[in-house]
Amino acid sequence: MNTHKFYYDLDLTMKPVDGVLTFDERGQICSRIGGNELLSISAENINEVAVLPGVGCGLLLSKMKDGSEILLCRFTMSYMRAAGEFSKVVNFYVQTKQYAAPDEEERPVCEKCSRPLVEGMSVCIFCYNRIGVLKRALQLMRPFAGKIIPAELFMTVSSVLYLLVPLFSRIIIDEHLRPMKGTFQQLLLLAGAMFLARALGEVIFILSSRVFNEASIQYANHLRNLAYEKIQKLSLGSLSKRTPGDLIRRVMEDTTTVKEFISDGGRWAVEQTIIFLVVFIILLLTNYKLTLLVFLPVPVVSIALSRFWRFIHIRYERQWRKNSKCQGILHDIIKGIRTVKSFGKEDMEIEKFAKATRELAEVSSDNETLWARLFPSLTFFTGIGEFLVLYYGGYRILDGTLSFGVLVQFTMYITYIYAPLRWFVSFPRWLADAMTSMVKIFEILDEEPDIKSIPEPKNVPLAGKIAFEGVTFGYKSYEPVLRDINLEIKPGEMIGIVGRSGAGKSTMINLLMRLYDPVQGRIRINGIDIRDMSPEYLHENIGVVFQDTFLFAGTIYDNIAYGKPGATPAEVIAAAKAANAHDFIMQTADGYNTIIGESGHSISGGERQRLAIARAIIKNPSILILDEATSSLDVETESIIQDSLNRIVQGRTTIAIAHRLSTLKNADRLIVLENGRIAESGTHVELLKKRGIYYRLVMAQRQTSRLAESG
Amino acid sequence: METARKVSESSLTLAIDIGILDLKKAEFYETPGGFTGLRYEGKDYDRIILRRALPIGHPMEYISVADKDNKEIGIIRSLAELSEEQYAIVAAELESRYYSPTVHEIKSVKDKLGYVYMELVIGRDGAKYAKNCAVKDVSRNIRMLDDDRLAIFDVDGNRYIIQSLSGLDKKSLKRLEPYLF
Repeated sequence: MNTHKFYYDLDLTMKPVDGVLTFDERGQICSRIGGNELLSISAENINEVAVLPGVGCGLLLSKMKDGSEILLCRFTMSYMRAAGEFSKVVNFYVQTKQYAAPDEEERPVCEKCSRPLVEGMSVCIFCYNRIGVLKRALQLMRPFAGKIIPAELFMTVSSVLYLLVPLFSRIIIDEHLRPMKGTFQQLLLLAGAMFLARALGEVIFILSSRVFNEASIQYANHLRNLAYEKIQKLSLGSLSKRTPGDLIRRVMEDTTTVKEFISDGGRWAVEQTIIFLVVFIILLLTNYKLTLLVFLPVPVVSIALSRFWRFIHIRYERQWRKNSKCQGILHDIIKGIRTVKSFGKEDMEIEKFAKATRELAEVSSDNETLWARLFPSLTFFTGIGEFLVLYYGGYRILDGTLSFGVLVQFTMYITYIYAPLRWFVSFPRWLADAMTSMVKIFEILDEEPDIKSIPEPKNVPLAGKIAFEGVTFGYKSYEPVLRDINLEIKPGEMIGIVGRSGAGKSTMINLLMRLYDPVQGRIRINGIDIRDMSPEYLHENIGVVFQDTFLFAGTIYDNIAYGKPGATPAEVIAAAKAANAHDFIMQTADGYNTIIGESGHSISGGERQRLAIARAIIKNPSILILDEATSSLDVETESIIQDSLNRIVQGRTTIAIAHRLSTLKNADRLIVLENGRIAESGTHVELLKKRGIYYRLVMAQRQTSRLAESG
Repeated sequence: METARKVSESSLTLAIDIGILDLKKAEFYETPGGFTGLRYEGKDYDRIILRRALPIGHPMEYISVADKDNKEIGIIRSLAELSEEQYAIVAAELESRYYSPTVHEIKSVKDKLGYVYMELVIGRDGAKYAKNCAVKDVSRNIRMLDDDRLAIFDVDGNRYIIQSLSGLDKKSLKRLEPYLF
């Protein structure tokens, strides 16, 4: 027998338990903890199962047909999504008497370690394939490999050229100076060779690093563009899972981190490893005993350095946080300076900032003191190898078993061994940061858009009937916003949607615009499910005006033509005229070329709204959506805009949402939403006669406007 | 200054009724369905929702009582004003709405892909058990509630409280230290 299970983790008194709630295909809900059955209810007696979120926990409750409510179970937030799925399965059965096959996975878990995947991540943070990630980053680098690989090779050659200097030094000392038999010409030749090796190394380095940097910047741009393109293609549902800040970080900061790793970290990794190996081989071939002495302290020094950097890193991270707290306060206060001044709170704000800067100064001073104390000891510590070599080498020279030149060569090479150590110990952190950024970029690139275009879309004309058929939807699976919406809108009809805040008005139009897909049911236009049309076609043919109009930085002309790229000047002016925007545009010095946006010409709320209307209608849409388009405006401005809207809506199917009910007086039909359901429907007069929710809303608004008038 | 503040405060509370419940007329009870109900001024509310107005500073004062449609019935000024039996019912309802177990020990802290993954020993009412959680954006989600109390918010929306940072064992504190700012 098919059974949908929901495992919960708290008992009714909030103690941790391993409980399970089951729902089987006979429509029976059972709750068990261990072997004990706590309750058993038949879905026949249920109206609805709902999830009630608390703070850090939630509960499932069953609303019974007799009006009573029964607590089914409690759980922590980790089980919230699964609880939503459970309620969906039961509610579907209650509505349709059909048992829906339960989703296979309640919560995605890592296939390897079985840990649940962290919310918002599609890969396991413990088991992700590091080599695979690196490989992919390198594969994406392929178009730039023609520059990067030769540049890297040349840079390594330049580093190896530097390594010749100690060799030359040894030859000069041992073969010419110590035996006192060298000629001036020979010395000049060797010194010249040393000079040439260094100079050539520098020239090669400058040229190749230029090429390398160019290629790595191009690579970062390539990654940035890929991520940005993908973000544009993702649905609003996918995007709203992440904050704008998170997305911006992925496009800008993460790509920069990867670029820096490639251009600095990766490059140094290759170079320093080669230098390390070359020096090791040269030293080993010259004198293996001395070489062992050089390398003897390396493990100890590495561990000490690693600890030191971790300790310092934590301290500087704290300093960085304190610094950003100061910046945050400053940013906040300067932005809100008008409020601070009007409340006379300057002294309070001065004290607040002073406290933050005091804390920053304390942490910075502590860190500087610590650094001043620790750094000399660290330098001393890393020099231990040098002391050992000098002691043993000196002893062997006095013994006559080692040449002076070899000792000089060893002491010079020591810096090549110890200097990169500091870098090597911080490499894992560097690599981890780059990995984090790479995984985050790839996550975006790999995300499957949940609003998909089908291969052969049926893009029928939208000037037909719109039908919502049993539409249920929630932004979170456990919180349905719309429930079983059934509505038919005739072509050319103007529908007004009213209801309290959160009733689901905007959600209805979000679904019509296919910014999200319904969880249950479907929306058809002209008989075709909108999921069978391409989203681009749908968006091109629906004009929309929101309450919070967003105008892009640019000219008025560009903002209106945004709705139809390539629009002719006549079309732009016609749209502006229809939206009653032309007159105010012509009052500005630059007319349609006036720049608006943050640093441009400032325009009023009413003017912005009229530009938004012009932008929506320039594409001559079959369906026009007005989502609180005039709510934030005063009555006078609203009437000007309403005037233009009345002209525009003629012959188009229009769906308008408005809090101010007078805005909708011309609607052919009004739909009243209450708790996600259609509670009433009819004309203004019909609904007033009904004396229901709409009547109460109208009366409440009349009272408010009367109060306003008498005030 | 203090007097002036009191005068203005009292005049404001006189002018605006914040809806303090008359607890003599209130009777909280447990419903057969497992919820908390309220009989108040002749009305029977069969499932009430309790919310703390000041959950951090005054968890047992200024408790908003709403009906199941989220309409506020009134405010309990202080739970201390309730009888012992009534207190137990209201406190239990609050405990089941606000779930933030205490962190007793931090077993390990790992930085992975921008998340801080913690193995905690948490508990409530004497019982202790292990819980693993992932925290994102640590500067926001690991934060001091007051001088000594700290809250950890994980990616799922769970919250854990360290009741006394100074009372935490040395190893746990050392593991947490990099994330305390």
